[in-house]
Amino acid sequence: MNITMVKKILKDGSPCRKCADVLRQLEENKLLNRIDQIVVADERDPNSEGMILAKKHDVNLAPFFVVEEEDQATKIYTVYFKFVKEVLSEGVSEQQEIKEIMDQNTDLDYL
Amino acid sequence: MNAVTFDVAKLADEYKDKTPSEILSLAIEHFEKLSISFSGAEDVVLIDMAVKIKPDIKIFSLDTGRLNPETYQFIEQVRKHYSINIDVMSPDSKQLETFVHEKGLYSFYKDGHQECCGIRKVMPLRRILSTLDAWITGQRQDQSPDTRSGLPVIQKDNTFSSGDHTLVKFNPLSFWTSMQVWQYIRNNDVPFNALHSMGFSSIGCEPCTRPILPNQHEREGRWWWEEATKKECGLHLDNDKN
Repeated sequence: MNITMVKKILKDGSPCRKCADVLRQLEENKLLNRIDQIVVADERDPNSEGMILAKKHDVNLAPFFVVEEEDQATKIYTVYFKFVKEVLSEGVSEQQEIKEIMDQNTDLDYL
Repeated sequence: MNAVTFDVAKLADEYKDKTPSEILSLAIEHFEKLSISFSGAEDVVLIDMAVKIKPDIKIFSLDTGRLNPETYQFIEQVRKHYSINIDVMSPDSKQLETFVHEKGLYSFYKDGHQECCGIRKVMPLRRILSTLDAWITGQRQDQSPDTRSGLPVIQKDNTFSSGDHTLVKFNPLSFWTSMQVWQYIRNNDVPFNALHSMGFSSIGCEPCTRPILPNQHEREGRWWWEEATKKECGLHLDNDKN
């Protein structure tokens, strides 16, 4: 299995707060060593590795994770807690997942 | 065809100028496990269009337990008018009871609506979406210039897809305006929620929805006590388009 984390640099050059938060959580929970590489989606540079991956996989949220396994379709995770639960097999509460989903999808509650 | 073999990017581009009915036809033609999300508001136009293509199309609605009486009456009216079944999804009773026990019935006025919406709306939504390969929403770009401006007519739903389950989302009304929706409703004698006649535009739960004044944006009728915050997690790929 090969795991790529894509983190974002905003158009003004500042780091993405959510990406930093996810990195901190990975580190605190000793999961960072399970990530094979971290690449940057720089909104100022459409040719940055992360932006190319985002376009390739039709992703419009950051951070996100690309999970590649031999003989299997590449899997994309935009919800951190879902990634942690399904790929890293760590315990996650439904409340944590839902909160993250709502934070990322600010108009989901308009349904 | 399932969601994995459906070429979302290619079809989204191909269908961006097609009519909502043509987009619905594509969805119906390709996906068996497909359902329309019906909010009890003006997205009823999707039902009107879809039943003309597939009379027994699946439809679901999220009953938060806090909707206006008019919305419940309207959902029932739609069910009868089109002779359709509507899967009315309810919140998990245990989670809801725990939440209300701890926070009361109006916690959203104090600490925001997210937790309540999470339990009453998003969890049931996730439950029904886990049974589908594709879903159809009435979301439109003009509903929110901040968060829906790039809404495509077809997209892979990365939020509710999981490692072994790909979900596709259709937004046939993405490029329609509110005016077009209401022209359709009037021209086709489509039933509508009585709240619209009382000044309500965007309709949600009773405690969190209010009528708006002329020239107010429809979003101003929802969660008006909360400060608008900007979405930070989006990746702005539009600068990559030719």
